[in-house]
Amino acid sequence: MTGQRPTALIADDEPVLRKSLTRLLAQAWPELEVTAQARNGREAVELFEALRPDVCFLDVHMPGLSGVEAARHIDRRAHLVFVTAYDQYAVQAFEQGALDYLVKPLQPARLADTVARLQERLRAAQPVPDTDALLERLAAHLLPKDGAAPPLRWFRATVGQHVRLIAADEIDYLRSDVKYTLIAWRGNDGKPGEALIRTPLKELLAQLDAEQFVQVHRSVVVNLRAISHVARGLNETADIHLKGRSEVLPVSRSYLHLFRQM
Amino acid sequence: MLRGRRLLFALGLAALLGLIISPAYTVPKAVVIGREMLVGLVALLAFGLFEQWPARLPRWLARWALQVLGVATAIAIAVPVIYFVQYHGEAVPFWKDAKRLNGFSIMLSTGLLLAPWITVAVLFRQRDDAARHQALAFELERSRLERSALDSRLRLLQAQVEPHFLFNTLANVRELVDSGSPQATSVLDSLIAYLRAAVPRLHDPATTLGQELQLVRAYLELMHMRMPDRLQYVLLADESSADLRCPPMTLLTLVENAVRHGIDPSEEGGRIEVRVHERDGRCHAQVIDTGVGLRRGGVADDGLGTGLSTLRERLQLVFGGDAQLRVAALQPHGVCAELEFPAQRNPA
Repeated sequence: MTGQRPTALIADDEPVLRKSLTRLLAQAWPELEVTAQARNGREAVELFEALRPDVCFLDVHMPGLSGVEAARHIDRRAHLVFVTAYDQYAVQAFEQGALDYLVKPLQPARLADTVARLQERLRAAQPVPDTDALLERLAAHLLPKDGAAPPLRWFRATVGQHVRLIAADEIDYLRSDVKYTLIAWRGNDGKPGEALIRTPLKELLAQLDAEQFVQVHRSVVVNLRAISHVARGLNETADIHLKGRSEVLPVSRSYLHLFRQM
Repeated sequence: MLRGRRLLFALGLAALLGLIISPAYTVPKAVVIGREMLVGLVALLAFGLFEQWPARLPRWLARWALQVLGVATAIAIAVPVIYFVQYHGEAVPFWKDAKRLNGFSIMLSTGLLLAPWITVAVLFRQRDDAARHQALAFELERSRLERSALDSRLRLLQAQVEPHFLFNTLANVRELVDSGSPQATSVLDSLIAYLRAAVPRLHDPATTLGQELQLVRAYLELMHMRMPDRLQYVLLADESSADLRCPPMTLLTLVENAVRHGIDPSEEGGRIEVRVHERDGRCHAQVIDTGVGLRRGGVADDGLGTGLSTLRERLQLVFGGDAQLRVAALQPHGVCAELEFPAQRNPA
């Protein structure tokens, strides 16, 4: 890091507020280079993996993956500063855990304090404290209470050179390979994509919703939502055809009973 | 309970009467008291009978009059029957024996004289009790309604000025001002319009749909400024519907719900469509969003949170059962909230 300018990532779903923090940081910390701007938690994690900035400013409340959940993925690989508009509970937790945080609307004096602390930590090359337990509690608290949404499962997988976060919802099927598991998924744009993850199929299956994902073959797990139709073959086998994908998945004999009624 | 008290009252009164008149008789006190109690029982039966039967009375006959008459008739029949039965088989019938006839007349006359008055007194007392009971029940119902109205207003107050919304919006305003953006004034105007509309109207039970739509527009303008890449919106309202009465915060609650539960949790955002029109004396309002929908929560109907249940409560208070709120999931994702209530205009 010596001789190099420190880098930062800013994550906020509101563009004006990203601009605001960028502008205020330019005044308070001119050497800092804001290398990444993320619009949500998922982008924050992906950009972090690609660029490895020294400091991450994370808005707590973001669509999809929240700032706290993104922080858990980033783990202790960067200095974290949380940004929140109003959340008594989160602020209290940040105070208790000695986590850095800023309150919106941002006050330049307060930002200057935070910057001074961050500069000190970077200079001393202090390790980032382990706050995962605290963050886990916070993440649970931040889930919408009235909608009672169950937490989404996210998987960190590689697409070419990049790391992508893939939500369980977006997975069409999983197929185990020699060293990896292939994740066939589709993003918000609906375009099918493929990613690789090191976690074995069996372990992944255990983390998925059993109502939605079923194993149909020794090496294949499929999302029921992604199935277009099932074609019966000879010899007690069947083929699964998928919506919007040309590949065909095999169903082996021992799993055929799953589709008897269909 | 009531029957027991009646029986005790009738028998007690009869026994007292028997005790009073017993010195005029040669037979033992107990016999006189017994006879009177029997008469009292018959009178009570007549009272009870005509209280229920016949179920319908001709208009010229009041039930209380029937009851008084019934009681008198029952006594007029019961006393002779008792005397007849008791002295049946004796050499001289009781009406030929001067002493017995005398006793018979005393019993009959005191019975006929007192029973109607007692009946009237009892009826009066009953009516008084019923009225008091009803007044109490009304009072209870009224205070219950008042309390739930107050509760829902308080909840509205607490739910309304959402700090997260306010501080985030202020953070935007601050940046626009600091960076000298020409947008600053118009955003500040929207915020002022929103706050002005949102705050004092809590005390005003009926605002117009036009005012409500202004509030919705100010809110959507603010949200669009905050998430320009994620929120599109359109407001479609009949001009004629502007002066319809509309409880405050009805439409806004639906729109806020669409933003909070539909658009805000979605990475790609979506579109909100507000449609208002009047048809067949009813006001129809729809708030449609293409956000994440009910999918993630997996909750049906009322699952959209406290905002909607408070709204349901308020609609119930204002329109009784005459307003409907329906929430449905849309394909591929999104929510349609539909509100229907009577179209009323304020008297000019």
